[in-house]
Amino acid sequence: MKMMNGNEAVARGAFEAGVKVASGFPGTPSTEVMDYTQQRYPDIYCEWSTNEKVGLEVAIGASFAGYRSLAVMKTVGLHVAADALGGAAGSQINGGLVLVVGDDVGRIAGDDYNDVRHYGNMFNIPVLEPSDSQEAKDLMIRAFEISEEYSTPVILKITSVICKTTSAVAIDEDYTYKVKCRKKYTVSFSKVIMTTMMMNAKGSEHPKLVKCFNDFPAHMKRLAADSNGFDINKLELKGNKIGVITAGTPYFYTKEVLPDASILKLGMVMPLPEKLIRELAAHVEKLYVIEDGHDIMEKNIKDLGIVVIGKELFPKFPEMMRFTPDIIEEKLLPDAPKRTLMEGIPFRLPVSCAGCSHLFISQILRKHKIKASADVTCGLIGCFPHMESYSLQKCMGSSIALAHGYNVATDHKEKFVGMIGDGGFWATGINGLMNLIFNDSQSTTIIVDNSCLAMTGGQHVASSEFGFNYKPENKLEIAKVCEAIGVKDIVTVDAYEFENLEKAILNAVKADTNSVVIVEKPCVTKFKLPKGDAYSIDQELCTQCRKCINIGCLAIESKKGKDGKVEIVINEDLCVGCGLCSTACKFDAIKS
Amino acid sequence: MQDTGKNIIIAGVGGQGILLFSNLLSKYYMKLGYELKISDVIGLGQRGGGVESHFRYSTKPVLSPFIKAGDVDYLLSFEQTETLRYLHCLKEDGIVFSSTFELSTSSVNTRLEKDMPESKTELIKRSGLKTFIIDPEEYKSTDFDISKMMNIVMLAIYAEFRGYSHEEMIQIVRESVPEKFIAGNIKAYEKGISIAREMTPNP
Ligand SMILES: Cc1ncc(C[n+]2csc(CCOP(=O)(O)OP(=O)(O)O)c2C)c(N)n1
Ligand code: SF4
Ligand code: SF4
Repeated sequence: MKMMNGNEAVARGAFEAGVKVASGFPGTPSTEVMDYTQQRYPDIYCEWSTNEKVGLEVAIGASFAGYRSLAVMKTVGLHVAADALGGAAGSQINGGLVLVVGDDVGRIAGDDYNDVRHYGNMFNIPVLEPSDSQEAKDLMIRAFEISEEYSTPVILKITSVICKTTSAVAIDEDYTYKVKCRKKYTVSFSKVIMTTMMMNAKGSEHPKLVKCFNDFPAHMKRLAADSNGFDINKLELKGNKIGVITAGTPYFYTKEVLPDASILKLGMVMPLPEKLIRELAAHVEKLYVIEDGHDIMEKNIKDLGIVVIGKELFPKFPEMMRFTPDIIEEKLLPDAPKRTLMEGIPFRLPVSCAGCSHLFISQILRKHKIKASADVTCGLIGCFPHMESYSLQKCMGSSIALAHGYNVATDHKEKFVGMIGDGGFWATGINGLMNLIFNDSQSTTIIVDNSCLAMTGGQHVASSEFGFNYKPENKLEIAKVCEAIGVKDIVTVDAYEFENLEKAILNAVKADTNSVVIVEKPCVTKFKLPKGDAYSIDQELCTQCRKCINIGCLAIESKKGKDGKVEIVINEDLCVGCGLCSTACKFDAIKS
Repeated sequence: MQDTGKNIIIAGVGGQGILLFSNLLSKYYMKLGYELKISDVIGLGQRGGGVESHFRYSTKPVLSPFIKAGDVDYLLSFEQTETLRYLHCLKEDGIVFSSTFELSTSSVNTRLEKDMPESKTELIKRSGLKTFIIDPEEYKSTDFDISKMMNIVMLAIYAEFRGYSHEEMIQIVRESVPEKFIAGNIKAYEKGISIAREMTPNP
């Protein structure tokens, strides 16, 4: 037995399944699936692709070559890759194709409230969901078997709870890695081709037609029927008062709170094992569905004409972020004692690391009241109300096109600036830049080159000087690419040279041409930049105007002193000596 | 085995070594043959967010990774605002170990929110629970920066309180931390034992 969290267990499962290629794009909570795979199982080819769509396409190609392939992403990432998944769904599968997708249930790390199982419904493909690390490993292997047996991509849904929970996993330490090549089909086409075949040639025996034909509805029908006998779907018949259909970690919450309930625990949440559900329904007086995320199993079960209680008792978002044992107890055992959180405990709004280059940019935008959009990056902290540097923020890669849209709508009278990270730029933002050039836009773009995807923990990007498959000659240059795309005005500045940066941004905004300002400074946290001398605030000079606090640096605190008086102080341990705060103080109170 | 298991919440803020703490403790219980589930609920850890770890060991398989409010035996907290967040989760005879260290929250720093008017230490003491308050300032010395070692100090305090083998714990520390940190960690562990021996509970 080995203690593993869900991400480690999935990586181990990939190894034992004989995966040859793993690709994808970072995103909480599933990023570490790739990290562990790359660190521990060097036999597996790993890549962080430019974005999720590319990542999935790489896996699809590798699967067609006959090798088991894996794509890792978070659920918002699958929104980006959805078209690629639509293309793969229903097509001929050679080497098993599995998507490991992380649902950030409970917004533990600040994600939107998504549920990957919608894609199972939408594309008619199976979704498996583990309840602990052991199952995460086992279902990973099972997912590949199902993918090959039923010729379909399979989604393994993991959640932030699974990913970050450690429990024991049975491991054969001497396991040797085996890869096999399964080349069952010589072609693999999207459904468009297949449905055309189906309409015109179903039943034809012409080998050229047979070769192209993949009867995907039949595969899925067979899978749904077989799922009633799958050992990963467990019917635990006990008392007949309460029955619960559940999956994932809510299975354990249910078992703990309702030890006498009869439970149908699904390892495959899609398609549903109809027979087992009817058997449970016939056994109990009341049947509940307890599922994290959206009411997807619930709807699918209700569609079968089976009466279940779900959302009406357990209202979903925003009433509930995710299931907990407490919620089940509160609703189903109303006599249990209630506990309430103490009132008035202040919350912890996220802040940037001390010395982060984003703070310099946010500060300049705010100081000069420049209107700007933020991308999904560490810099989006600048959207929070104490900073107010950005007024527009949407999905990853969007900020350049958002700014362009604003500018064409306002006839370029007030220049709206797009700020984007290097990761967001390579991911999809680059499309926004190409788009604005050939559509004759005069937008300004700030690209924050911190040499990594900082917000997800510092993975490499195309312009990093490190990475899984890094070679210096393959490193892409942001400035050169911008030049090739046709940007008229490109400047590169060091983030810590405050005056230069300020000048560069102001010049770019004033000019009536399109422009890019590349702001360089490696991420202080990822690259552990050496610290300079700490700054401090002279309490005699400080007027408590709080301008320095609003730059958003983690090191600046407002604290009650021993005498009960509030002071603005710099935490010496956290300060890296970047000097930004001193530029914000009008009273010269902050000094090195 | 007399002890059939306990539920522990470990709380604090990013950068306090809470994950290492729960990792070391898990190794101790593994050696004793317990079943374990440890669930880390991490905010934006590296940026001053809260960190919360649900730690359950038992002679029977552990079911839920989360501990229900009211089922917590021990709260081990490295930051006192975070202590307050979990007081309601303890059993009536649950026990709190809390550092008086406080990292002001960004919402208070920026005046989006008012801080609590009462002293947080007093609120903890008056919770009606048995509490041990540890003031790291009291143990700060020129050759020992306790604030950076609080995780190891807390491990020693907890081990002493539970009557666990310090020898065994130190061995685990030795096996788990990089070579160059071993000496410093053992020193912190020993400091923790001496702190634990002086501690008096509230009330
Ligand atoms: C489509 C999508 N994929 C992945 C993520 C997860 N994610 C959030 S921030 C981020 C990294 C951003 O890196 P970069 O653009 O370089 O900005 P930085 O944080 O380095 O400033 C990622 C991958 C996401 N939010 N959306
Ligand atoms: S991780 Fe890097 S980019 Fe993100 S806030 Fe910290 S220093 Fe800035
Ligand atoms: S110099 Fe100022 S802005 Fe920079 S890290 Fe220190 S406190 Fe923060």
